[in-house]
Amino acid sequence: MAGQLSAAAVHPDGVVRGATRNATPWLLLVPSCLALVLLFVVPIIYVLVLSVTDPRLSLAHYQRIFTVPVYTRVMVNTFVTSLLVTALCLVIGYPIAYVMARRGGWVSTVLLTIVAMSFWTGFLVRTYAWLVILGSKGPVAAAYGALGLGPAPQLLFNTFSSTLGMTHILLPYMVLALYATMKKIDPNHLKAAASLGARPAAAFRQVFLPLSLPGVVNGSLLVFVSCLGFFVTPVLLGTPRDMMISQLINQQIEELLAFGFASAVAVVLLVATCAVLAIYNHYAGLDRLWG
Amino acid sequence: MPVLVLALLGALFLLAPILIVVPMSFSTAISFAFPPPGYWLGYYAKYFTSEEWLEPTLNSVVIALGATTLTMLLVVPAAFGYVRYRFRGKSLVNLLIMAPLIVPHVVSALAYYGFLGRAKLTGTLLGVMVAHGMLAVPVAFLVISATLKGFDQNLERAAMSSGAGPFRTFVHVTLPVLRPGMLVGALFAFLSSFNEAVVAIFIGGRGAVTLPKKMYESIRLESDPIIAVVSTLLVSAVVLGVLVSMFLRRRSAHVA
Repeated sequence: MAGQLSAAAVHPDGVVRGATRNATPWLLLVPSCLALVLLFVVPIIYVLVLSVTDPRLSLAHYQRIFTVPVYTRVMVNTFVTSLLVTALCLVIGYPIAYVMARRGGWVSTVLLTIVAMSFWTGFLVRTYAWLVILGSKGPVAAAYGALGLGPAPQLLFNTFSSTLGMTHILLPYMVLALYATMKKIDPNHLKAAASLGARPAAAFRQVFLPLSLPGVVNGSLLVFVSCLGFFVTPVLLGTPRDMMISQLINQQIEELLAFGFASAVAVVLLVATCAVLAIYNHYAGLDRLWG
Repeated sequence: MPVLVLALLGALFLLAPILIVVPMSFSTAISFAFPPPGYWLGYYAKYFTSEEWLEPTLNSVVIALGATTLTMLLVVPAAFGYVRYRFRGKSLVNLLIMAPLIVPHVVSALAYYGFLGRAKLTGTLLGVMVAHGMLAVPVAFLVISATLKGFDQNLERAAMSSGAGPFRTFVHVTLPVLRPGMLVGALFAFLSSFNEAVVAIFIGGRGAVTLPKKMYESIRLESDPIIAVVSTLLVSAVVLGVLVSMFLRRRSAHVA
């Protein structure tokens, strides 16, 4: 073992490549793996433990989540809202990614810059912006008044505003996932379709669209999964009447100090997220999602 | 061309809400009124003299710097080990490294709330730094391992066959080529901590209020117009960051 270690230290990285019984990769990986286990996995396991032990050892929390109508409604609402946000992101994001990938030049650069900008602008800045836009003294309400439509309807603190806010915040993820797939599509395929007599619409439908489907799946998965556990925007723009899972966790901690129950809700969220990702992994392989 | 119109409308939907914070920051209104009734620089002056806002700003910077350092110390060796070697359990290691990205932040936040609370680290800069350092691991790992995969190892072989030792090769060949990619990785780690809200809200307590946590609380409790000032400054920082990362990427593409 000691000989192997020194050999690995002496030999340059490139030379020992492919060796399976070598200590070097582990020396390089141990710090990060150890840190992640101790400072990430253990805290998560602690949540798991709390969910069945706080205040006493039982599965009562889980039973409540799945039988009490208030809580089953939260689960259903989270699921439906996430689906809706995913669909909206796809519909708005597809044309953006399409133009980014198919048109070169400044249009593509400008779109990419806008997407990157909104990707990196914090959730709170964007959520705050929607509070201004949809607020009772905001531009939408002002437009209502100017057009003589009378007082604007209540736009904030309902499912509408939280859905809109989440769509806006998650749209860049969708666009970037679509774009990553679309820019790899060989333009010659479309030229070939055209030279074989396909009109642009037919070429798009029969060639480009099927080739872009992996991006559609990746983007939808990213948005859906992020939406399931979305916290800031539903809390600030939504309503406690149509709670999402993360709002429920927050409420249980903040108002009721019910750590056991909050932990059980968190575990349900975690399991749901992992289940969705596992299905994806089975068919496509998770590596493709990050790459 | 209708697709172009749809794309530009979509881009407008992405951009306009962000830009609305800029005129808001110069507004004289006490609440969130738009269009602003008048313009002044008063809230900028208030921001730059208000302990209540400057302290979270400083906290955010300190935490993000600490978290980035921690992340890079863990990720750079890990990326070398992961990309350059084959070993048993590789996919498990990959899953472990990606875990902070897979687990919803609200679950991580709850986990740290309980775990760091036991260690008496909630409400401390160190606690938030450690949590953010872990959450940034997958972000930095993706960027740096991608850079490493694109690295031509013949450069190292050439250096060594010309008589350079492994250390000199690493310092004079490997590192300079990888530097732009590593800087992008570090920048992503920094931004992921700087923007992170959920974990910070749960574990920041009174002692480690970050900027997103402060914004969250002041949106919930009052409509403090200084939020518009902070938002504008953050948007400006993001514009700068995006331009810098584009520049670095172009350079790294140039080298590779």
